[in-house]
Amino acid sequence: MKKAFAVSLAALAACGGPGPADSQAGKSERNAPPAVRYDQYGAAGKLAPPAETLVNPLSGDPGAAQQGEVLFGAMNCDGCHGGDAVGFVGPSLVDGRWRYGGEDGALFHSIFYGRPHGMPAYGGLLSDTTVWQLVTYVRSQPLPRVVPTVAWPSVSTARK
Amino acid sequence: MTTPGLRAAVCALVLTTALAAAVRAEDDGQWIRPGKDLGATRYSGLTEITATNVGRLRPTWTFSTGVLRGHEGQPLVVDGTLYVVTPYPNVLYAFDLTKEDYPLRFKYRPDVNPAAVGVACCDAVNRGAVYAEGKIVYNLLDGHTVAVDARTGEELWKVKVAELATGETITMAPLVVGDRVLVGPSGGEFGIHGWLKALDLATGSIVWTARNAGPDSAVLAKAGTFKAYYDKGTDLGLHSWSGDTWQQGGAPVWGWLSYDPVLDLVYYGTGNPGPYNAEQRPGDNKWTSSVLARRPGDGELVWAYQFTPNDNWDYDANAENILTELTIGDRRRNVLVHFDKNGFAYTLDRATGEVLVAEPYVDVNWAKRVDLATGRPVVDPAKLTGKSRGMVHDICPSLEGGKSPASPASYSPRTGLFYVPTNNLCMDWQSEDATYIRGTPYVSATIPYNPGPGGHLGAFIAWDAATGQRVWEIREKFPVWSGSVVTAGDIAFYGTLDGWLKAADARTGELLWKFKVGSGVVGAPITYRGPDGKQYVAVYAGIGGDWFLLSGDVRSDDPADVRPPADFMPDLAQYTSQGGIVWIFAL
Repeated sequence: MKKAFAVSLAALAACGGPGPADSQAGKSERNAPPAVRYDQYGAAGKLAPPAETLVNPLSGDPGAAQQGEVLFGAMNCDGCHGGDAVGFVGPSLVDGRWRYGGEDGALFHSIFYGRPHGMPAYGGLLSDTTVWQLVTYVRSQPLPRVVPTVAWPSVSTARK
Repeated sequence: MTTPGLRAAVCALVLTTALAAAVRAEDDGQWIRPGKDLGATRYSGLTEITATNVGRLRPTWTFSTGVLRGHEGQPLVVDGTLYVVTPYPNVLYAFDLTKEDYPLRFKYRPDVNPAAVGVACCDAVNRGAVYAEGKIVYNLLDGHTVAVDARTGEELWKVKVAELATGETITMAPLVVGDRVLVGPSGGEFGIHGWLKALDLATGSIVWTARNAGPDSAVLAKAGTFKAYYDKGTDLGLHSWSGDTWQQGGAPVWGWLSYDPVLDLVYYGTGNPGPYNAEQRPGDNKWTSSVLARRPGDGELVWAYQFTPNDNWDYDANAENILTELTIGDRRRNVLVHFDKNGFAYTLDRATGEVLVAEPYVDVNWAKRVDLATGRPVVDPAKLTGKSRGMVHDICPSLEGGKSPASPASYSPRTGLFYVPTNNLCMDWQSEDATYIRGTPYVSATIPYNPGPGGHLGAFIAWDAATGQRVWEIREKFPVWSGSVVTAGDIAFYGTLDGWLKAADARTGELLWKFKVGSGVVGAPITYRGPDGKQYVAVYAGIGGDWFLLSGDVRSDDPADVRPPADFMPDLAQYTSQGGIVWIFAL
């Protein structure tokens, strides 16, 4: 329950806002598979093409990471993954550990197609560019924030 | 319309007798519904275990459910069979208590959509089943209600009642009144439009649906029937909202139901309005954070009372509404007692919704008091949240509640006291604008917790609801998030987050016995008479619920999800970890 990145609708509009994936023409097409319907997320993850073929066109772009941070609040990602992505009902994204891979393509897949046990497919809701902004934000977070060992009673020194 | 009315009348007659019998005659030793009796007192008439012998209580049997999520709720004991419903994936086990080692009679594994796990706000919990007419009835996380043959485990019906795609899941335990199965959704953090539905017990078909917000036609409030004690006018569930915000306004039903057979009224609490940013939904937001009284036959709303108008603090009112008689002043009253998340304990006239007593049972600072003339809290404006107010500091109690609605209190007619698990937590609050995206969280707030005054994070207390006073307390290192049960042996049982089941003298609060059950307790202990005539105590161990979110360091089930401790509670994982254990104790 630390800082959350929620955002106003005005800010969302200022960064372009989400658009349908198929409205993105040209170069971004090769960076994204076809859009999926948002309400199909219950079947998420079943038909995804190989993630390693996807290239993040925004890799390492600080502006994209910043926009991704805004989106992380605006698209309610923080509602499950927690403020600063430290984990809430959904898993932590800042512990350096991944169920489905932490590379650019794998993260794109997780957001675009969703994952079993509740990660919605945002592919029908967000353009591939905005998904890449989210990927770039998550990849920009310092890792890892936790260490494998927690020892007691030295609680105060175990964490900082 | 005559048939349900007649049926309700017949039911009322039968149930009046049953309720009176349960309280006054000898206890039948069973536990057939979540709150033990229709008044949800969680009082057992069994007397074998007493203050003088409880020290000899020892475990006689255990079972691992195979599930590690929060084990809220309670098992049932019916006709020599123990029924256990697990958290997602909501497996139902039936154990034969008449045979040595309690062999499994059946195991029912429903098909539950795993996507529901990500639509449940606060862990994939289940608060238990109810028994009626040879059926075990309970809810699945993905929005279905099922009825299973209590002897064979055969699925009798399975009905979809909630819509996962709109953020609805189900975690509550149904209540059966006559031939009606009453169910409601979770999803106050997902922008749902809350409701209560009645299903036909025989077939599962949906008989009526009553919304908790919206126009009178949807709320089932009819002129001549509906009368709120403190509110006048029509379409209160519409005009107390701005625009169409009520359509995503929350008011889930994830707590406990109770029923008065004489008045023929079902009582249930509703959860928070959404989103958390109150400036996005000006108005009282009726009937969120409220108690509603309906006719089970046709769902008509008879009265409603809102504990927290325009809730700024996620003060869900899903806590149990315990029905009993109390002498208030010099009058004997039929009351409903409710320990709200907002920190006030309310004693209401359950025929009208009039507030008779409302006093803080934990430290409260968001409101100075409840005005009994208007029924409204006298709010401290400095504690209002909303985006324009930025980070508001030191609000007590926290959104975990003075008591969690997931952790039901109990009431003993012998002592006249309520036995209440409590949290001693405060919070800071910063709201942001929330965007409604169907099926995703509709919250947008930052809410760090802080320990309340005194250094302890919880207490188990005894409460006098006639005068609004705390009689005794047992302080606990961690929030007390289990339910409680109290017996005619004058013993109150409760569990702790650090994994103890404890027994206290119901009159004095003296701690008499404790046993380490292996994982934090967020379930509710029960007691029953076994086929051998002995008194048993049963409880689930299995930390979870909000602690699945807030103390991720107690989890060890996912190598890809490791988290630091919560800063307000940095050492819980030193004492407990996840589990899923059914315990049975006896002398």
